[in-house]
Amino acid sequence: MKLLEALMTGLTQGAMVALVALGYTMVYGVLKLINFAHSEVFMMGAYIGLFAILGLGGAGNPVIAGVAGTVIAMIGSSLIGITVERVAYRPLRGRGKGALTRITPLVTALGVSVLLQNLAQLLFSARFRPYPQLFTGTLHLPVVGGLSTSRAFILVASIVIMVGLELLVQRTWFGKAMRALSTNEEAARLMGIRTSRVIAMTFALGSSLAAIGAVLFCLDQSQAYPTMGVVIGTRAFVAAVLGGIGNIKGAMLGGLLIGVLGEMVKLTDYSGGVDVLVFVVLIVVLLLRPAGLLGTSRVEKV
Amino acid sequence: MAGAQAGSTRPMGSGLLKQIALFGGGLLVALLLDFTLDKAISDSSIRQLLMMAACNILVALSLNVINGMAGQFSIGHAGFLGLGGYSAAVVSANLHEALGGGEATFGKSFIVVPVSLLVAALLSGIAGLFVGLPSLRLKGDYLAIVTLGFSEIFRLVIATAQIGDKETIAHAWSSAGSPRGFVHAISVMITSLGGQNGYAGPKDAGVPLYAGPFWVVGLAFVLGVVAWRLKFSGWGRALRALREDEIAAAAVGVDPTRYKVTSFVISAVGAGIAGGLMAMNRDGTPIVQPDSYNFQASFDAITMVILGGSGSVTGAAIGGVFVTFTVKAIELLQSTSAVQALKQRFESLDLNALRMIIYAAVLIALMIVRPEGLLGERELFQKKAPSPAKAK
Amino acid sequence: MRTAHPTRPRRTSADGKPLLSLEDVQVSYGGIKALRGVSLEVRSGEIVAMIGANGAGKTTTLKTVMRLLPLSHGTITYAGEMVSGLGPEELVSRGVSLVPEGRAIFPNLTVRENLEVGAYLHKDAKTMRETIEDVTALFPRLGERMKQEGGTLSGGEQQMLAIGRAMMARPELLLLDEPSLGIAPKLVQQIFAAIRRIAEAGVTILLVEQNTRLALQVSHRAYVLRTGEIALSGSSAELAANQEVQAAYLGG
Repeated sequence: MKLLEALMTGLTQGAMVALVALGYTMVYGVLKLINFAHSEVFMMGAYIGLFAILGLGGAGNPVIAGVAGTVIAMIGSSLIGITVERVAYRPLRGRGKGALTRITPLVTALGVSVLLQNLAQLLFSARFRPYPQLFTGTLHLPVVGGLSTSRAFILVASIVIMVGLELLVQRTWFGKAMRALSTNEEAARLMGIRTSRVIAMTFALGSSLAAIGAVLFCLDQSQAYPTMGVVIGTRAFVAAVLGGIGNIKGAMLGGLLIGVLGEMVKLTDYSGGVDVLVFVVLIVVLLLRPAGLLGTSRVEKV
Repeated sequence: MAGAQAGSTRPMGSGLLKQIALFGGGLLVALLLDFTLDKAISDSSIRQLLMMAACNILVALSLNVINGMAGQFSIGHAGFLGLGGYSAAVVSANLHEALGGGEATFGKSFIVVPVSLLVAALLSGIAGLFVGLPSLRLKGDYLAIVTLGFSEIFRLVIATAQIGDKETIAHAWSSAGSPRGFVHAISVMITSLGGQNGYAGPKDAGVPLYAGPFWVVGLAFVLGVVAWRLKFSGWGRALRALREDEIAAAAVGVDPTRYKVTSFVISAVGAGIAGGLMAMNRDGTPIVQPDSYNFQASFDAITMVILGGSGSVTGAAIGGVFVTFTVKAIELLQSTSAVQALKQRFESLDLNALRMIIYAAVLIALMIVRPEGLLGERELFQKKAPSPAKAK
Repeated sequence: MRTAHPTRPRRTSADGKPLLSLEDVQVSYGGIKALRGVSLEVRSGEIVAMIGANGAGKTTTLKTVMRLLPLSHGTITYAGEMVSGLGPEELVSRGVSLVPEGRAIFPNLTVRENLEVGAYLHKDAKTMRETIEDVTALFPRLGERMKQEGGTLSGGEQQMLAIGRAMMARPELLLLDEPSLGIAPKLVQQIFAAIRRIAEAGVTILLVEQNTRLALQVSHRAYVLRTGEIALSGSSAELAANQEVQAAYLGG
């Protein structure tokens, strides 16, 4: 039973990680850039969600505060994501020469990440802020046993969102444009696709997913703090690489795997070693199968 | 190797006498500083600042080998610094005990510092070899992630070690016959490094602080000259050629494998020495802690290199000094009564966060306006411009 | 086959003015002049070929027309309007489509999705369905493979897909870059037959082709490019009879 419980918790954690991982993977798809700032967009989403939910009545008004608060967090995060792309990445596109072409955007991405994290420290202080608990109680399910209502909600919500995203990517014009842009930018432009607009929309979509992930994460962990993006961001990034960066289904799979793996480690003597393991997985995957579990193409060589 | 014509661009005289004079002079200055600095500058925080600046020059110079000269990108330099710091701390503390403890004298430092730094450099160098090997398969952002991964693994393994009953290392190894016992012995060893609280010698008496100005300034000077020589040597030129165009460089006989891995090893050795000196710094604190080697430390190192100019030796040195001084200036500012009063009113006022925001903003702006850094590849005090890096 | 797009005004081909004209177009990449002042025109309803050795600047010319490369000097006019300042998206919406060298289909999208993306600027469902019918009538093989991923097609099929995808935008002017490159001879015949049919339906074509014989057979007029400049021009029949052309490009 302990194992089954850990599995359920792991899936819940993993589903949230997957939501964040999707942002890394989609941006990598269209820009071939690791958006290091994504983890901080996630963190900002948590804070915006926190203030919005509190402002709308918090736990006293769970449905409206929860839904509207999440939507506000999504809008706020999208704006941050789009701004980051505009200010820090777009000016560099199609510029530079030699080794600098790959390194320059990497430095700005790191810079934005450091900037946002410290900005949060300055704006919101380093202390942990309690998150209003919108769900109470425990569900009693057959086979699995007890599962807190908020975890059940997180799991269901994440799965619904991922299914929705898959439909968006497969069926809509935006999804097709994004996939076309990911495979061949020049050919996409020849189809009349306005690449800058698709890139901005990709950032908005990825940031919105991160915001949903952030609100769900905070419902589970019941607190927000400026460095929260580092931990989850790292796991999400590893999840994206594990699944095959640029591959949307891969990010979902990677997220779930990382979540379950983390909970399994907690059952052993080395419960503090989750993040060590996450990094070990990352390095092993990059060295042995850089394209990830579901990726087919090789990692681009410069 | 293409080192035969190195003389044409070598910016310094190559006469043997001149070299002896250069090194001798530098070391003499360092020696003088060792005896006079305490008297000349009575404020220990200023002395600490000067020593930190010298150490950070080494940090920047060593990272510059990978990020500037080789055109790879490491965001895990803190890992090498940490490995050097911890090894030097462990070796020097144990050696100090073996030498009978007591005062950390200048005389004894001639045994303790070289041995500790040698171990630090060696271990870091081996780690550099391991981290450098992936560079053969991975490039750009992927390689960067791997360096971060190694560095974080190092930090997290030490930081998350659970401190339980104090079992001695010798006892743990005596029962290390089975795989389980072996793992246990290893974890006892890691635990002896003090976990999150840090390492302060085998008896928690503190890490002996042997590295006075002679060692710190002297090594900064010597290794600075080495870095300069390296850049203008055939090796340095081959590295630059590789950075600009790997295929073209390979076509003229530059073996990418060897150059990439050795650049990692050289960089790691430099970082190991820098980390070791920081851990044993006479004006520093007698404890090494995992949090000193987090991502922010790596980011600071990147800032030093990029501000100064990727690939420029003097640029990296300037970057190192600049970052040290701003960190210190913020610390001093934090303690002033005006800032303290402000903090009473705004609880979140965190000047270090403000510093990081400014750094990050400057870096982003610099990348957009001038991606090659302030100096670019140029050097201060250089009479001749380096020959174009193209290997064609 | 339906060609003019319902939402775009149809131009008569008899107005005498050139549909596309380049005037003294110069392009450099990294200090090297790839085009040293190319001037050419394509009139409505024509098939015009550009021939020349590798590196003469043929592909560069097409990419410059599409604004995939920046122009350093000169002007490009399309349908009487200056288009040198517009991006590729605007050119596509005005009726110019390029089938790029190497095909550049989207390998991880299905054949149908590839065609749909081709109609990105004209998302009207009915028009799109009709155009897909036209394209599959032109290339029946594509119709059989609608659900397959583009990457699983053979080289010739991919070329058909690339042309079909460009036709989805219902262009007035189709730029074709090396449609026969690396394709089995039998399929080359089919592709060139399709190109003729496209032209018969009223689409103007500017063709870059390394197979000079084929290019001169299919086209009305041709330009010979040499090191970034127009060396010769004239009717295709004239050029095919020209001794210099025969010696250099037709193997004697």
